[in-house]
Amino acid sequence: MASVHIQNARKTFGDSTVLHDVSVDMDDGSFVVLVGPSGCGKSTLLRMIAGLETISGGDISIGGKSVNRLAPKDRDIAMVFQSYALYPQMTVAQNMGFSLELIGAKKPEIATKVEHAAKILGLEPLLSRYPRQLSGGQRQRVAMGRAIVRDPKVFLFDEPLSNLDAKLRVQMRAEIKALQKRLGTTTIYVTHDQIEAMTMADKIVVMRDGKVEQIGAPLDLYDRPANTFVASFIGSPSMNFIEGVVANDGKTFFAGAEKLGIPIPLCPAQAVGKAVLLGVRPEHIVIDREAGVPAEVWVVEPTGAETHLVVSLGGAQVTCVLKERISLQEGQTVPLAFDASLCHFFDPQTTLRLV
Amino acid sequence: MTTMFSTAFRPLGSDRIDPFLVVLWIALIAIALIWVAPIIFIVFTSLKTNADVMGTGAFTPPPELFTQNYPDAWQRGNFATRFANSVIITLVKVPVGLMLSAMAAYALARITLKGKKLLLLLVLFGTMIPFQVMLAPLFTLVNSMGLLNTRLGLFLPYIAFGVPYQVFVLHGFFKEVPHELSEAALMDGASHFTIFRRIFLPISLPILAALLILDFVSTWNEFAMALVLLLDSKMWTLPLSLMVFQGEFGSEYGPLNAAIVTTVLPAVIVYLIFQRYFVGGLTSGAVKG
Repeated sequence: MASVHIQNARKTFGDSTVLHDVSVDMDDGSFVVLVGPSGCGKSTLLRMIAGLETISGGDISIGGKSVNRLAPKDRDIAMVFQSYALYPQMTVAQNMGFSLELIGAKKPEIATKVEHAAKILGLEPLLSRYPRQLSGGQRQRVAMGRAIVRDPKVFLFDEPLSNLDAKLRVQMRAEIKALQKRLGTTTIYVTHDQIEAMTMADKIVVMRDGKVEQIGAPLDLYDRPANTFVASFIGSPSMNFIEGVVANDGKTFFAGAEKLGIPIPLCPAQAVGKAVLLGVRPEHIVIDREAGVPAEVWVVEPTGAETHLVVSLGGAQVTCVLKERISLQEGQTVPLAFDASLCHFFDPQTTLRLV
Repeated sequence: MTTMFSTAFRPLGSDRIDPFLVVLWIALIAIALIWVAPIIFIVFTSLKTNADVMGTGAFTPPPELFTQNYPDAWQRGNFATRFANSVIITLVKVPVGLMLSAMAAYALARITLKGKKLLLLLVLFGTMIPFQVMLAPLFTLVNSMGLLNTRLGLFLPYIAFGVPYQVFVLHGFFKEVPHELSEAALMDGASHFTIFRRIFLPISLPILAALLILDFVSTWNEFAMALVLLLDSKMWTLPLSLMVFQGEFGSEYGPLNAAIVTTVLPAVIVYLIFQRYFVGGLTSGAVKG
């Protein structure tokens, strides 16, 4: 086990820079998720930690020791790949024992460690099978088993669940999280799925275009996103942004081109009298027949547990998630109110959060 | 017979005969006959006395089996020595050449190297030069090295001419092996040599088997280069000894054909052994689990 420190890590391919001075501290035993859209550099960063990509600048240290100039095998880390990368000609047991075999471990020792890992993952009946004889979930477990037998300082996961079907993904998500808690090994996990990030992480690193946008605990990111990108990336359906102006009294927000007045008594002082982006999560909008402002219903999407509404609020498109079942038709008007304490205000120019 | 017709000429699940399938079958049978005809001719002739060769049709089965042609051919063609020459050259050249090609292909496909493309192009250039063009310079070169009439003198050009094609095929295959597979091995602590030996070689066995068949047959049957580089008839390989039959026993078709059968048989056996393996390897990898 070890902590991982990334200090101003930079990666360039020729003239293009794909990672700009990324710094992240990962505590010993923590579960850190790197999340962001495709091409944001999260996998590159993981591969740099693994030693599969060189580091163009900055420093990466594992357990207090710089690994910039260490080969992957000397970093004492194990990685689970998106495609699992199981050796097709080896059985499950051979796949799991391969790394031990390479460091010259004795056969009985390999067998013991493989059996131990197989027991943790429920792979015992499959040890003599070949990867092609396994289902996707089983292959995933073997890939994790291969990492576990080595008892490394750090586990690296590169989008390990994206090849699984939705149901299995939820199950494996819980399994990986439980396994990490049980082993207590520092884990760095890359995904583009914010739900995976929210449910599994102790700490989330949100990345975009090779830069870190925000680092924090899952609920911190949800409650206090640093900018509109993080705000829209974390949470599903994503946060609504409404352009508008805060009234001089600081208690009303005039939304959109129609300047529809929405009462929000807790507008921050910096926003008063200025053009801002109001951020409201769909689940923080409620129907309020007394104080609500009228919104025209565009789409009604019942999911069973909740009802999703897409409405026009002062000309802006707004998504709402309502807990109750309501019978509404497209074209009808519905009175909506925002919970003032759960509203977010962003600077429309810098997209940064206004406190 | 009925069941054969009921399945062979009909699309799966249909009860109507597909005329296209009928044409395909006829074409297939015709091609098979064309290929098998000379083999039948050779085998039959090799088992006939000289009188029977002259007195019966080419495709008439031997009236009585005359096996004496085989020991005759063996002796007159000095097969004991030449068979050994062919076996030694082929058994050394084919595995060594294939191993060299595989290592070169791995390096060109997977090791970061400046000028790699140029190197690959240079190797591939070798597949484009007809070896006939090279025969005269080759003779001069081997002669200047003092290797005429030696196994090494034949072995080296064989390697040189065999490697480019194999590198071409294996490079194409290795390039398609998922990078994650070698990266996983790298993380597991494997060196390039270990990755090559433990991961790449095992998964490319079907293709190695195919190349082995092709290379074995072409090396075993190689004639022109051996003719130019082996002047001493004691060093001759099997294909060269067939030439002798043509000259000395012009009218004795029995021993000549017996010699041909003897020459061809090892190649056929090797083909049959590895072909089964080759097909097995292909299907096991092709079906995604």
